[in-house]
Amino acid sequence: MSLSFILIPFVASALILLARPAATRQLALLATLANLAVTVYCFGCDYSQGMNCTFQAPWLPEAGFSFSLGMDGVTLLMLLLTNLVSPLIVYGSWSRSYENESRYYGLILLMIGALNGVFLATDGLLFYIFYELALIPIYFICAIWGGQDRIRITLKFFIYTFVGSLFMLLSLLYVYLQTPGGHSFAWSELVNVQLPAGTELWVMLGFFIAFAVKMPVFPLHTWQPDTYVAAPTGGTMLLSGIMLKMGTYGVIRWMMPLAPEAAHTLTPTFITLAIIGIVYASIIAVKQTDFKRLIAYSSIAHVGLIAAGIFAWNKAGLQGSLVQMLNHGINVVGLFYISDLIERRLGTRTLGDMGGIAKSAPVFATLFMIIMLGSVAVPLTNGFPGEFLLLNGVWNYNFWAGLAAGLTIIFGAVYMLRAYGLAMFGEPGEQTSGFADLNTQERIMLGAVSLLVIVLGFFPGFILNLTDSTVNRILGAVQL
Amino acid sequence: MTALLILFFTALAALFAGLSKNRKSVQTIALTGSLLALASVVAGPVRGWDDMYASMLMFNDYAMAFSAVAILSAALIFGLSGWGFRALTSTLGDNYGLILFSLCGALCMFSSTNLVMLFLGIEILSIPLYVLAGSRRDDLRSNEAALKYFLMGSFATGILLFGIALVYGSTGSFDFSAIGAAAAQGASMSGMLKAGVLLIVVGLSFKVSAAPFHFWAPDVYTGSPSLVTAFMATVVKTAGFAAFFTLFATAFAPVASVWTLPVSIIAGLTMTLANTTALFQDNFKRMMAYSSIAHAGYLLLAILSAENTSADRALMFYLLSYSIATIGVFAVYIVVSEQKEDDTFAAFNGLGKTHPFLAVALTVSVLSLAGVPPFPGFFGKYFLFTAVFDKYPALVVLAVINSAISIYYYFKVITAAWFQKGSESDAEVVLPGGIRLTVSMALVLTAVLSAAPYLAFTLFFRN
Repeated sequence: MSLSFILIPFVASALILLARPAATRQLALLATLANLAVTVYCFGCDYSQGMNCTFQAPWLPEAGFSFSLGMDGVTLLMLLLTNLVSPLIVYGSWSRSYENESRYYGLILLMIGALNGVFLATDGLLFYIFYELALIPIYFICAIWGGQDRIRITLKFFIYTFVGSLFMLLSLLYVYLQTPGGHSFAWSELVNVQLPAGTELWVMLGFFIAFAVKMPVFPLHTWQPDTYVAAPTGGTMLLSGIMLKMGTYGVIRWMMPLAPEAAHTLTPTFITLAIIGIVYASIIAVKQTDFKRLIAYSSIAHVGLIAAGIFAWNKAGLQGSLVQMLNHGINVVGLFYISDLIERRLGTRTLGDMGGIAKSAPVFATLFMIIMLGSVAVPLTNGFPGEFLLLNGVWNYNFWAGLAAGLTIIFGAVYMLRAYGLAMFGEPGEQTSGFADLNTQERIMLGAVSLLVIVLGFFPGFILNLTDSTVNRILGAVQL
Repeated sequence: MTALLILFFTALAALFAGLSKNRKSVQTIALTGSLLALASVVAGPVRGWDDMYASMLMFNDYAMAFSAVAILSAALIFGLSGWGFRALTSTLGDNYGLILFSLCGALCMFSSTNLVMLFLGIEILSIPLYVLAGSRRDDLRSNEAALKYFLMGSFATGILLFGIALVYGSTGSFDFSAIGAAAAQGASMSGMLKAGVLLIVVGLSFKVSAAPFHFWAPDVYTGSPSLVTAFMATVVKTAGFAAFFTLFATAFAPVASVWTLPVSIIAGLTMTLANTTALFQDNFKRMMAYSSIAHAGYLLLAILSAENTSADRALMFYLLSYSIATIGVFAVYIVVSEQKEDDTFAAFNGLGKTHPFLAVALTVSVLSLAGVPPFPGFFGKYFLFTAVFDKYPALVVLAVINSAISIYYYFKVITAAWFQKGSESDAEVVLPGGIRLTVSMALVLTAVLSAAPYLAFTLFFRN
């Protein structure tokens, strides 16, 4: 079962890249929808006893390294995120025509397969391999179809993340060499290793650098805004919607269980960094004039809160972070699609050149409003339960930290409402007066995102139930 | 032994076939001979037959495994030679013969258990190479390469020989295990032995182009004909390291305290200097020269971990993956650069558009060299780094940082191939059939080694 999450996109990708069928787009969408169907099917399994739906094949048996996959509630949530967002990304890309379309969709599918692999891997080295494998297609997507100065920016992005994950590899190798007998990379073996306090700190830092670059946590975020802006919209959606969650997931699954004591001693530092990131990115977002860049900074702020919730390491924080990972993925894909839509119509992303769009495009204005409110975390939208739980978690950890993290809601409202106001209200300019309302394709895309915003806002309990038993297990096993 | 004889007679046959002016037949003979030799190596040692000259040559599993790597690399290079040697006329047979003789030298080095045999192997390997480096006689840079290589090579040989003499003087034997036994008794931990060991370290460092004895390599690599460069970067490197490893794992293991510090300094220096210098290269072959020096730095880690039982496998796998990737890169380079008459990175511009197959092969090979998973180069680094991590964590961290630096210059190749615009005439670059076949073979081998790395061990290591 779990293997199909990787096989379906890989096979579809190979088909598209090698055979270049005429119906490339349709085939890509079909593959992502098939994955979504498998995800829904997996809801039925029982995850209260730990890993289920496991798959294992030897890769380097002598070295204790195997291709082993498994799922629990947390994995399932990440798979839901990936496979719910990926049809949206593929379908969202239909609105633009890309040169060498088969390569574009082939690489996207390759990326999706690798992302599923990251979340499913229960073997340390396999996790690392998928973690890096996900980097190669996105590098090509950004560097081939990206915007201005893309080559320099994507190389910076690649080197940044590659260096980060090499430190993780060192940590993994170190822990691996401490496992008893013939050594093993299996997750269950690695977590049983008891490290002396001094070395555990180094091991933990290796993981932290890798995941902090990916998320990104202040001050390792400098690659992110440029890359998001330079990437084509589909690439930006992949990066912000799914890929950065590799970092937050990695903290929950690998860093905390492998080095809990060291993580505990540094928790105040991490939470402080996360909160600095929230405030800093929010302030910059308020000043932005480029809409795409504004969303990029808002993404740093949101992820900062998710990271703070995880590092607080209590039930509210962890549950909140999981819910928010899913919802942030959905909202940010919607927002980047909107930014792309405006850019297609007007040829600009500068907020000052917009204004008055609401008059000529009421349907667009409504759907944009819903998605924007979800991102601001208004109650009864999907952003609310996650942010509420996260703030609750951080608050439980420390009152002042909770207070500072709470600024994200105020700032979020400020920059999003400002952007919405500048773009949609006011007097229509020369360009915006003729702004055509949504066509069918765009209605389906934004309608689907808005529907998810509302449904998940009304029924957050469904997600909480999904992860509840697993979160309890994780917190029970790793007590700080 | 069978493989050595096959290669030797193939070399003679190639020399005579060169007289016939039938170009195809020479390549066919060389290719068939090397594939036969490879088959005989994979089939395994023949007892009694493989222990020659009073045990001066021992074709054991270790020798067989490295012979397989070297012969496979040579076979791939022969696959490219139809195109690579197309400009040669009267010297065609000589070129094939010299490469095969050099390969015989490599086999002697793998199987040597004796300093004299090792020395002979090195010379049999090197002397044909001096000639090959200068085989483009009308090209000044080729002449420079040959002269430089010859002078530096002789210099290194002298130092090595001096070291061998001192070791013989202090232990009374040329045999690896006898030297080891004498050194272990401690009585002979004399200054003479120490000086001998250190001189051998220096001599071999010259041969494998480790810093600070690497200055010849960039000029020689750039000046030599590209196929010869590919041969130097793969087979010669394999031979040098395999010999370095056996010698230090058996004969000099008891005096490890003498050489571990110098070797670890050389290793750290080599990878750091080479990687930082490679960043600034515009000439592609020069970059590959520094890249090969950098890999020598990583490979020296295997020498340091010689007492670890899995170190020989790590070394073998690293050399195998490195050789295949290097040949893949050179295959694309010779097609493109010689037709565009451009030896910089710009030769690859627009390759993704005009020749996606070559661009994919280039990308895969470069990613493997950079050690990006899941390509074989990653597993090579993984095996190597785990073997030394326990004893030299700082060096491993340095090596990892260096691999990160190398991303920058390796990605210049990928950037050129996929993201830079080529010129109008690029579409006219033709892809000869022999190259297509060889590159496909390299890609298949890469895929197999990624999916099942242990296959290399089950095939080549029997124990």
